[in-house]
Amino acid sequence: MNNSTSRLGRFAVRGVFWRHYLDWAAVNLPFYSYPVQVLFCTLFFFFFAGPARRAIVANLALVLPGSSRPMNYLRAFRTLYNFAWTIAEAAIHKLIKEEFSYEIIGSEWLEQLGAAPGAIVLTAHMGSYDLGAALFAEKFRREIRIVRAPEPDRQSAQHLSASLEQAGEGAVKVDYNTAGALLSFDLLKALRAGEIVSIQGDRAEGAVGQVSAHLFGHEVQLPNGPFVLALVAQVPIYPLFIARFGCRRYAIIVHEPIRLESTGKRDKDIANGVDQWCEILEGTIASRWDQWFAFTPIFAR
Amino acid sequence: MSNGESPGFYFALLRLMATFRGGSSRRAEKNGGEAWIVSIATYLISYLFFAQFIPDTFGPGLRILILAVLTFLVWIFSVLALYLNSVVIKFFHACGLFRALPVRHAQSILVSGTASLMSFQLLRGGGWRTEIAAIWLIVVAMNLAAAAILALRNGDHSHS
Repeated sequence: MNNSTSRLGRFAVRGVFWRHYLDWAAVNLPFYSYPVQVLFCTLFFFFFAGPARRAIVANLALVLPGSSRPMNYLRAFRTLYNFAWTIAEAAIHKLIKEEFSYEIIGSEWLEQLGAAPGAIVLTAHMGSYDLGAALFAEKFRREIRIVRAPEPDRQSAQHLSASLEQAGEGAVKVDYNTAGALLSFDLLKALRAGEIVSIQGDRAEGAVGQVSAHLFGHEVQLPNGPFVLALVAQVPIYPLFIARFGCRRYAIIVHEPIRLESTGKRDKDIANGVDQWCEILEGTIASRWDQWFAFTPIFAR
Repeated sequence: MSNGESPGFYFALLRLMATFRGGSSRRAEKNGGEAWIVSIATYLISYLFFAQFIPDTFGPGLRILILAVLTFLVWIFSVLALYLNSVVIKFFHACGLFRALPVRHAQSILVSGTASLMSFQLLRGGGWRTEIAAIWLIVVAMNLAAAAILALRNGDHSHS
């Protein structure tokens, strides 16, 4: 990549320029200027982030069967609007440590997770996982490892990793699922050492192990890593979602853990866990479709 | 993070009213309704300020087109103004002035000051725009008075 392309790449939709702009806004913007700024930024990206907009519309057509295409464009705008608020508030939390309110749905499971000697947190591209990880680390004084898909832009990826680690004040470590078997062994070792590993399980991107599943009656490819790890390490999987409920207000939704029993038939054991996860994921997406930040087509055609 | 309490208020006028009802006068930046009202109000003042410069000689079609484009131009203006403000604040901080004041609070003073200057200008125009400008100026004055009362009551030296 030559210099001029790199310079222009900074301004691409997923370029690092916008991440820096967000950080600048978090420090410089008065609290009350956010609504109009977020609204216009959403409008800007609604028009310029074409692939993301089309992916949301395509996903919503299957999540909300019978919905009309024009309505789904409006819903896509709402989803991008929620995304803008979510990343803006994550930057505010990271840089100026403003107070946020939260409520916990499934507090008994969260307490159990906080005390678990090794567990997998299975989540989705929903709400603010930056805030969620930071909150978890703060509430339980425990380290958490987040596994995420790599950003297409190298500088954005570096910025995002630094942001997550800064928000978690050193208790959050970020791994990218590109290192193949090496990362799997590393995560297995971490789980056996009693650590908590957080993985996004609503889509499989890149060359990661995949498993076929059904969401909303359609075939999807999900990462099989969390289920293989849970089976091998014999640790529970806690489905956990962070949803935005209003201005600097969030809900942490934790479900009963999925426990994979080893019967000797690996594929069947994994399929059992995947089915349980899909049921929870489907219910969560159906009720909070406007916070499902799936900016790539999820469903097989 | 905190768990499940009332969102509180940012502006002194609302914080003072909250204390009359037995609430807290502590500044909070979590009230979405308050943020929306003031965000739209400052945007509206800027929009009306620039809209008054559209010549009356333009036809209705052209006026509507310019007003539509102005919606986005005012947003770009607001971003540029916030950036220029941040440079001014950085300069003051470098000179050792107002260092205790967080940048976003200093921005708040500059934003409300700019909107008030625009409102003074709108007052001269007459019509419904004058009403909106007058409402803005009255609310700003009430907010400043409330800030002074809170400062006297609580030793709260933070700005409005």
